Amino acid sequence: MSLLVQGLARLLLAPILMVAFAVLVKGYADVGDGFAAGAIASLAILLQYIAFGREQTERTLAIRLLPAAAFVGLLSALAIAAAPLASGDPLLTHRPGAGTEPIHLGTLELIGAFAFDIAVFLLVLGATLGIIHAIAREAERVEGIEPR
Amino acid sequence: MIDAPRGRAAAHSLPAAVAILAAATGFAATLWSWSHGGGVLDLPWAASLDIRLRFELDGLGALYTLLATGVALPVFVYAARYLPAHLAQQRRPASHAPRFYGLLVLFMVSMAGLAMAQDMVVLFVFWDLTAVASYFLIAYDRHEDSARWAALMALLVTGVSAVLLLIGALVLYAEYGTFSVPELFERAQPGGTLTLAGGLIAVAALAKSAQVPLHFWLPRAMAAPTPVSAYLHSAAMVAAGVLLLGRLYPLIEPSALLRDGLLVVGGVSIAVGGVIALTRDEMKQLLAYSTFSQYGYVVFLYGLGGAKAAVAAAFYVISHALAKSALFLTAGAVTQATGSKKLSEVGGLARGLPLLAAASAAAAAAIVALPLTVGFFADELFFAAALERGPWAAALAVAAAGLTFAYLGRFWIAIFLGPPTPSRRLPPAMLVPVAALGACLVATGFWPEPVASLAAAAGEASVRAPTSAAVAYHLDARSENLMALATWSIGLTLLVLPMLWRAPAGAVARLGARVGPERLYAAGLRRVNRLSDRVHDLEVRDLRARVAAVLVPAGALVALGFLATPTAGSYRVGEIASRDAALVLMLALACVAAVAATLQNHHLTLTLVLATLGFALAGVYAFFGAPDVALVAVVVETLLALLLFGVLALIPAQVLRREAEIRTRGSRRWRDPLIGVVSGLFAFVLAWGALSRPAPERSVAAEHIELAPDAHAKDVVTAILADFRGLDTLGEVTVVAVALIGVVALLRRGRLW
Amino acid sequence: MTLIPALAVGVLFGCGAFLLLKPDLFRIVAGIVLVAHAANIALISSGLERGQSPIHPLAEGPVSDPLVQALTITALVIGFAVTALLLCLAYGIYVSSKTVDLDDLSHAEARDERELEREEVSV
Repeated sequence: MSLLVQGLARLLLAPILMVAFAVLVKGYADVGDGFAAGAIASLAILLQYIAFGREQTERTLAIRLLPAAAFVGLLSALAIAAAPLASGDPLLTHRPGAGTEPIHLGTLELIGAFAFDIAVFLLVLGATLGIIHAIAREAERVEGIEPR
Repeated sequence: MIDAPRGRAAAHSLPAAVAILAAATGFAATLWSWSHGGGVLDLPWAASLDIRLRFELDGLGALYTLLATGVALPVFVYAARYLPAHLAQQRRPASHAPRFYGLLVLFMVSMAGLAMAQDMVVLFVFWDLTAVASYFLIAYDRHEDSARWAALMALLVTGVSAVLLLIGALVLYAEYGTFSVPELFERAQPGGTLTLAGGLIAVAALAKSAQVPLHFWLPRAMAAPTPVSAYLHSAAMVAAGVLLLGRLYPLIEPSALLRDGLLVVGGVSIAVGGVIALTRDEMKQLLAYSTFSQYGYVVFLYGLGGAKAAVAAAFYVISHALAKSALFLTAGAVTQATGSKKLSEVGGLARGLPLLAAASAAAAAAIVALPLTVGFFADELFFAAALERGPWAAALAVAAAGLTFAYLGRFWIAIFLGPPTPSRRLPPAMLVPVAALGACLVATGFWPEPVASLAAAAGEASVRAPTSAAVAYHLDARSENLMALATWSIGLTLLVLPMLWRAPAGAVARLGARVGPERLYAAGLRRVNRLSDRVHDLEVRDLRARVAAVLVPAGALVALGFLATPTAGSYRVGEIASRDAALVLMLALACVAAVAATLQNHHLTLTLVLATLGFALAGVYAFFGAPDVALVAVVVETLLALLLFGVLALIPAQVLRREAEIRTRGSRRWRDPLIGVVSGLFAFVLAWGALSRPAPERSVAAEHIELAPDAHAKDVVTAILADFRGLDTLGEVTVVAVALIGVVALLRRGRLW
Repeated sequence: MTLIPALAVGVLFGCGAFLLLKPDLFRIVAGIVLVAHAANIALISSGLERGQSPIHPLAEGPVSDPLVQALTITALVIGFAVTALLLCLAYGIYVSSKTVDLDDLSHAEARDERELEREEVSV
């Protein structure tokens, strides 16, 4: 891959991740939701795969752990959905309820639905990266046998 | 090989010990409860279907449960020594052993449940459980084709007839409104319905007890290991059929037609089984034919009707079960000692295996009803019941018993007398069970009271009137004794003069093999296979044929509907404002991209065109006032395009090029576009009709818009996704996780990293 | 605005159906993608109102139906997951049968079945 692409990829990683996070965070006030954020983040990492190849990208520990994060996300989503059952409320009753002021972190409101979105974000990110990793490994295996 | 290596003994001994313990506990528990008057267990199970879990330990239940657990004990002890040698001989690992014992215990439990069940549906469930356990046990030697064929045959014959049992139960439910057996007895009235239901139940019972014409599965089932034959196919599973007859006797007895039918079937089974048993050379085959011949006696007794016959039938079952399992264990032991399964290849083993000879002599004597064994009393009761019916029944009884004497005499003499053949020593664990059963038969010959009282209680449960069974040795010239003498003389004559029966019996056997029900079964199975293949070819041969088979009729039907219904007013064009121009343009671009996708030959350009389509649709979503959807669409399309490129890169270029260069030939050139156009029309008409429907006054969406601020959200769509309809999102992310698992399984053989 | 989306649905579905009938596995996947897109258009055009995007604070005037938007997002994501799985399935078929052509696969399957039948008969 040419130096231009590699340079651009290195430069773009942080901004794209920032955009993804922004989409996740402002999903409640403006356009955005957990799925889009996760997919944008995975696109950032996919760009690294294309520019630098599988081995170099996967030297970062965080990327190696991310496919497992998919299942963490799934389990958290299930837990968040099922937790209200413990106190007798129906499934997926988010706290704080209507009327109560939530805790603010600047202009970000920490509400239950936000945690759900984060779980979806993790899941989509992990799943997409898992798929990318599987295809990349398969591509290496194929190229080892049939050089093109 | 008799001695299995010590190391593997552990894998065998624990499951065997558990099984033996289970059998002993069951036997003791049943005996204890029976001596304390029995009991009832009544629990609701499916209230809306009127099914209750009702179990009662009455005479019949106690008899068959004691039989199931009692015969299980010697058989399990035998199996503990037999199975290691069996597996070692077939070079199978010892890990196959626990399954054997597990299935045997499952069978024992289902037999006990069947015996005590007092609800028709519960009866049916346990009935089928025994059939399933039997299937796996017969096919225990999975590598043997004969075993698999036999297991399937047994399952099909007993399983299909079990459906008749269920139908009979449903007929009775429809008529009398209950599944509970005691209630049915109270409400049942003789008549057409009762005869029909009774007939169906009787057929199921007769198939299970291997009566003619549904007898052909039992000789085949001898492909099972010896403990299975000794337990299931002599004492337990085959006994389930006559158990059903005994349990539901009040429903069958009122109809003279059914009783006569049972007489005929029983008589024919006795004759066929006995005659063919005379000609068999393989030991287990002879015993198999003998088994259903003996159960023919029991069916015959149920056909005679009356309290005496019911008691005689129950007595016979006990005596036969004990004796026949002993004989099967003997056959297995002889095979282990000499390595041969045929009568013609063994002989003179009385010197080498004296204990076995004595025990099997006792067992054989019990079946042929020699005095000093309990079998003598069984036949005495049988003769008494037959005499009551008439001289023809008595003559038949004598002939049947003579036949039994002949073939069992032949069996014992061929094995234990005559020129000796070399034999190995047998471990005591194989001899003790046979000896125990033989001793039991002799002991009850001296002291028949417990068996008699059990049989009387069972008969009482069958006819629902007080019964008694007084059996004792009478040294006078009463008719039963004369009949017994006649039996023995006939039997001895047949034994001594084999030329009397060799030719006709052989002819009967050959005739049965040529035109018997087994050929019908095999032919039927072949036909069903061919039918299945033809349906498969029609339905499933080609993915494209299947797709076309769905699309074309759907399109045709929608077109018909369109033409048939008045459509004025139901298709609106709708207003198109000038601000919608962008939307229309994007839709047009999407349509052009779709058509272009059909014309692409190279996969790379196909991917690019699909990506164009996706982005155009993202624009469409944006112009529909759906920014969230547009964002997701753009991202998904990018990911999909890259994914498609990635997977295409894995495939060698030649393969893809070949696909690109294929020219569609022949009829497909015009057929495929035609199907496409038809489906497109069908989708268009459908969508237009749906979109033209008038909108409701107030929609759920308006509520969502109003409620969103309460959910601390300004973006209503996100609120719907994460809050109002969060369960949908949960489902969606589960699909994504499953897709990940699928991809990883396909590409990486299941390794996530 | 009922006729034009319906037309688009028809065109997309028709093209998708045409691609589904091709013998090439990847073109079949493309056909499925097209059919899914047709369904999504049908879904989003069945919204009861069309106007500004449903984000508070709302101005006067019609607001686009947020419910169908949420459903469309779900449909898009599920479609993505399923298409990814299908592509890997097509690749898996290639790995095991060395072909992505459905005609070749049918022939191979028929050949294998005849082998199996011959074995069964001889038993």
